[in-house]
This record gives sequence, C-alpha cells and structure tokens, in this order.
Amino acid sequence: MNINKKIQPVITAALVLLAFIGGWSVVMGRSWGNLLILVAWIGYLVFDRIIDRQEQKESPFHTPLLNSLMLLLAIYGGVLYLGAYFWGAFLLIGALLVFSLEKRLTEGKEALAESFKKNLKNLMIPVFGFLSALVVGMIIMVATGYNPIESYAALFYGGLVKNWSVSVLNATPLIFTGLSIAFAFQAGLFNIGAEGQYFIGAMVATYLGLYLNLPPIFTILIVIIVAGSFAAAWNFVPALLKVKTGAHEVITTMMLAHTAKYLSPIFIRAFGGNPSTSNHAYVTDQILDNSFLPKFKTFLPETNYRLHIGILIAIAFAILVYYLLYKTRIGFEIRAVGQNPNAARAQGISIGKNIFRALLFSGFLAGMSGVVQVLGLDHKLFLNLSGGYGWNGISVALLASNNPIGVIFTALLWGVLDAGGQYMIRVTDTPNSIVEIIKGIVLFLIVARYIYAYLGNRMKRRRKKKNEALASMGGNA
Amino acid sequence: MIDFILASQIFNVDLLSASIRLSTPIALAAIGATICEKSGVVNIAMEGIMIVGAFFALWFTYLTGSPWLGLLAGIAFGGAYSLIHAWATVTLHLDHTVSGAVLNILALGITRYMMVLAYGHPGTSDTVMHTLADYRFAVPVLSKIPILGPIMFEQTPIVYFMYIAVIFFTWFMKKTKVGLHIKAAGEHPLALETIGVSVYRIRYLGVVISGLLGGVAGAYLSIENQATFTEGMTNGRGFIAMAAMISGGWTPIGSFVAALFFGFADALQLRLQISGNLAVPSEIFTIIPYVATVAAVAGLVRKSKAPKADGKDFIIEKED
Repeated sequence: MNINKKIQPVITAALVLLAFIGGWSVVMGRSWGNLLILVAWIGYLVFDRIIDRQEQKESPFHTPLLNSLMLLLAIYGGVLYLGAYFWGAFLLIGALLVFSLEKRLTEGKEALAESFKKNLKNLMIPVFGFLSALVVGMIIMVATGYNPIESYAALFYGGLVKNWSVSVLNATPLIFTGLSIAFAFQAGLFNIGAEGQYFIGAMVATYLGLYLNLPPIFTILIVIIVAGSFAAAWNFVPALLKVKTGAHEVITTMMLAHTAKYLSPIFIRAFGGNPSTSNHAYVTDQILDNSFLPKFKTFLPETNYRLHIGILIAIAFAILVYYLLYKTRIGFEIRAVGQNPNAARAQGISIGKNIFRALLFSGFLAGMSGVVQVLGLDHKLFLNLSGGYGWNGISVALLASNNPIGVIFTALLWGVLDAGGQYMIRVTDTPNSIVEIIKGIVLFLIVARYIYAYLGNRMKRRRKKKNEALASMGGNA
Repeated sequence: MIDFILASQIFNVDLLSASIRLSTPIALAAIGATICEKSGVVNIAMEGIMIVGAFFALWFTYLTGSPWLGLLAGIAFGGAYSLIHAWATVTLHLDHTVSGAVLNILALGITRYMMVLAYGHPGTSDTVMHTLADYRFAVPVLSKIPILGPIMFEQTPIVYFMYIAVIFFTWFMKKTKVGLHIKAAGEHPLALETIGVSVYRIRYLGVVISGLLGGVAGAYLSIENQATFTEGMTNGRGFIAMAAMISGGWTPIGSFVAALFFGFADALQLRLQISGNLAVPSEIFTIIPYVATVAAVAGLVRKSKAPKADGKDFIIEKED
C-alpha cells in the first residue's frame, strides 16, 4: 500500500479532527465519542506504521505506541482528576510510568536517571519555598493566637478534597492571566494591567453571548476569537507608546486597567443592570444558553454542577503557548528580545514588531480569562466578576518562572489555597487572609532564589576563611 | 446661562485647592520614587508602601487617639516595608520590577490580615475621632496673597509637609554630598564605588527615603484626607506617582508639577461627578485621571531621561 506524500498531511488532519469530534461528543455527554477517539488512535498507529514501512525506516514500533498511550492516559487521567474523580491519579501515574518506560527503551537507563534527578532538583526550590512559607504562616498564627495545625488541616482538606471543584474553578481564569503575564515577561515586558484586558474580554463575551444565536461550538469559537481580539486591541495603545516613545508599559497598562474596570458599570447598566432596584443592581442579563461552556457534569455525573470545561481550554492554551514560545520562530524572536534586546537587534530581529506581538497576544490571553469566566461560570457580567485574577496572575506567572506549563500548576496551587481558605474560615476561626500572607511569602521565597545562592555563598566563604585561618596557623606552627 | 453657572460651580478656587489636596499623596510618592530611581533602584512597590503606611497610620491613630503618632507609625512602617525592597534588590540582586510587584501583592495580604486582627473584618476600618485635618491652619503672611494664598496656604499639615519636601529634596539632591552620591549611584555606580562610597549603602538609603515618603503619602490618605482605612484605597496612585516621576523628568520639582496636573484631573472628575446634571455616566469622569496619566506619559516621556543605571543590578565582589 502506497500513500502519496501529498495526502499525508490530509490524513493527519483527518485523524486529529476525528479525535477532536470524539472529544467534543464526550464533552457534550455522548459517550460513544470515546469510540471515535479509539478509532483515531488505532488509525494513527496504523498510519504511522505504513509511513515507516514506505520510507523503509527501522524505527521501533514502541515509540509511537507508548507516546500516544501516555498522551491518552494523561488526558483521561487529568480530566477525571479535575472532575474530582480522584482515581484519575492512577491513570496519571500510569502515564508517568509509560513515559519513563519509553525514555528507558529509547535513551537508556542513565538518561532516565539523569532527567529524573534534574526534574527533582528543579522541583526542590518551589517545594522548599512553599514549606518555609507554611512555617512562617504557622509562626504568625501562633503569635496572633490561632491554632495552626487545625487551620492547616482545614485548609488542605478543603482545598484538595472537599472543595476541589472550587479550586479548579478558581484556577481556570488564573491560568489564562498567568499565561498572559508570563508570555509578556518572556519578551521582557510586564503586562501588569491584565485585569483590564480581563474585563474587556468579559464585556465583549457578554455582549456576544446576549445576541449570538448559533450552534454552541460555533458560538463559543466566535466569542473566543472576537472577545480575545478586543482584549488584545486594548493593549494596542501601550504597545504603540512603548515602541514609539518608550513609555513604560507598567504605567500605561495599569492605567488602562483602571479605565476598563470603570467602563464595566456603564456596560452593565446598558445591558440589563438596573441600579434603582435594590438587589442585583449591577448585573447584566443572562447570556443565551447556546454560548454556555459544557459542564463536567454532562460526562462525569458525580462532579460538582458548576465545574465547566474552561479548565481544559486553559490547559490546552498553556500547551499552545509553550509550543509557540519554545518551538516556533516567533517564540524564539520574542524570547531573544526579552533576554537581550541589543543582541536580538544585531541578529536582525525587529524589537518593535515583537513588542507588539507579545503585548497583543498577552492581551488576548488575559481577555480569554474573562471570556471563560462569563461563558463557563457566571453567564453574566457583574461588578466584581474578577476576584483580582489579573493581579493574582502576576504571582502565578512569577511563581512558575514564566514557564507556561508551570503556570498550570501554580494557578492550581493558588486556587487550592483560595478554596481551602474559604473552607478554613467556615470550620475554624482563623481569618482566611492568612492565605494571602502565605501566598505573598511563597512568592517572595521562591522568586528570591538568590536568597539561597546568597546564603550558600556566604557559608562557602566562611568555610574558606576558616580553612585559610587553619592553614596559616598550621604554617606558623 | 445655565452652562455658565455650571461652569462657575465647577471651576473655582475650591477646585484648585482640592487639586493641591489630591496631588499631595501623588507628589510625595513621586518624590520618593524619584530619589529611589536616582539611586538606581526601580520602585514599582510605591503602591504597596503607601497602602501599608495608610493602614498603620490609621491603626495607631485609632489605638493612641493621636493622629501625630499615627503619622509617625505610617512613616516608620512605610520605611520598614521599603527595606524589604532594598534587601531584595540590592543585597539579593532580585529583579527590581519583580520585587516591586511581589511587594504590592504582599501589602494587600498584610493589610487584609491586619484589618481582621484589628477590626474583626476586612474592608473598611472604623472611623477615628481625630485626624490631621483637624489641624488645618492658614500660614500667617502667605495666605493673604490673593488667589494663590487661599489655594495653597490654607491647607492641612501634610500638604505643607509636601511643599517642604519638594524644596528640601531639590536642595538635597543638588547641594549635599549624600544627594550627589545618590545621583552617582544611579548614573555610574562603579565610579562611586571607586571613590570609596558603598553603592549598596547609598541604594539602601534611596529606597528607604522612598519608603518614608510613601508612608507619609499613605498616612495622608487614611488620616488626613479621610478618617478611615479601606482596602485598596490607594487605587493606583502609586502608579500614577511613577507616571508623575517620569513626566517630571526624575526631579522633585518636576514630579510636583506633574502631580499637580494629576491632582487637578482627579479634582475635576470628582466635581463633574458631583455636579451630576450632565447626561454622561459618572464613570466616564472617573476615568479622566487615568487617561490623563497615559497621555502625560506618552507626551513627555521622550523629553525626560531616566538615570543611566536605573534598574541595573550592581554586583561587587568584596573580600571580607
């Protein structure tokens, strides 16, 4: 059997589409979608074999098999776990095992041990920072007369088990704003006004949601694209000023964030909000339900009814941003500008163009955060729609050292701390603002990696001095 | 005719007097940020420093009954809080913007926690009985100057403090040895180190001055302009102050003039909102100061020049 070279991308696209349709059907509550995914998977394996045979490559069969198996396990396990089906964790562990197996088979035992060690080392600093922050929080609680053990037990039981779905809901917008800020940081820009772009995205999404009457998948796609573009356009002026006059984006985006925030009450009054009524004065009408994001409950019946698939979109975007930054030319240019503008210019990379790219895409991502919040959770716009997601996105991005994949986990951590904090005040009398302090300290300790370096250097120097002193004493004697 | 009456309601001596009042926190923070950046440390933590200063000023006024002790507390805590920024940026060589952003976030957490400890709930604190606004006085001779007198010299204590700060820091940066050292630390730190002055120490000083002034600015908000503390009451003023610093070309007087402009925009929007009989949503007016800030930064940034080593890390290997 021979497959023409030209048809290969068509087949690939068809398989991806098949898998996507399968996934969408599952999400819409039709479990036969799983079969489509299975067909797409087997199709991929067969297709891969045929291509290999055709090009007479001697590549081992286990590579595509294990890689795709890992991917499937990770997706199914991740979705189950996010939907509070905690046994999904076994699938995730399975994915990790498959990954290790694949690595061992292709690269050998040493490479596996090496990468394991490296990842462990990278994890050490955040974990250490987090534990230190917990200790400092404990000291503060003891000093101000609260029971730290009881509080922490409530915090983590609430965040990780009891209110896990709230944690996931909290994390969803944070992943987007975190990605937005991380992406701009990669270009050496600080998009401190993500909060403003969030509101622009939310406003446009509400507007479209009120009037757009198409089948769900089209509505959702159109809203995402249009609202995201408006939020991106909100960053056009800061980008233009940065390029033309050098006005610092921290100030311009911050001021535009306040502007957007004050525009939202005008918008709300125009679309259903009525300040003369006493209850729900500042709330718009509800958007049409064909722009609602599907809920987890349609395919995982035991899940909390509020949980929507925004988290999956967010994770997909994180992977997309990762790919964009590290695997494409555009990403390379953006990172080059961020690391050393002069060197980038010398290489013929346009600084202005990349500032525009970075700030506009950053605005798009922050806008997506508002879009997902409106389409998925609240279905309307109200004054305090944002629980400070734009500001918290800064922490989330810094904590992940601007790594898009890391942002997923730091946003989840933040979500867990918030949800757990709310549970904590219900069962203990500890104020949940201790959570804010813990967050601040975590951030400071992890960001200040230099602290460790500083202390390390100091200890080294002291030891050296001591040795020298001993040596000189020895010399004298 | 009606338009004329409306206009005279809005544009009068009170408006200018209010402009001065509203520009005070911005000017103080902007002067602080100027000194800080002159020493070579970018300080976007002004917002956080102000909010910490505002809270502790109010809380100590509440505890002791004396707004003067409150003011001292605001200054002290603002200075102490800025020390973290100095430590992070100078000693630990952390990126200045990152440290500033983190401190802004941390300030929200600290004040919220302290609010719960002190008043049992987050949000807005109880009102204090005496504020510095009780000590409003007219400067004897100067207040007799027509127009300018009532506008500038019938004010409350921190406003006068702001005038003094403008004059003092202009002199300080130009004429004193320490002021020149600060300037050198931001322009050419290596040269300063070569003549035997510690750049680290000078930069610490610059940051702490900004913290002290940020503390005063915060205290102004909570115990002079108002008699309560509300979470997030700085409302972006720390960032407007940075815009004032840039528009003012990194000089105390320039910062003051730019702050006056922003204060005027703020006073104008408040008045337009209160006048109420305009067929425009009031939020449009609230936006005025923010848009004015963007416009000012856009128009003036080219002409003003940042210190050369502003935000540049300085590492010196010491044999100790």
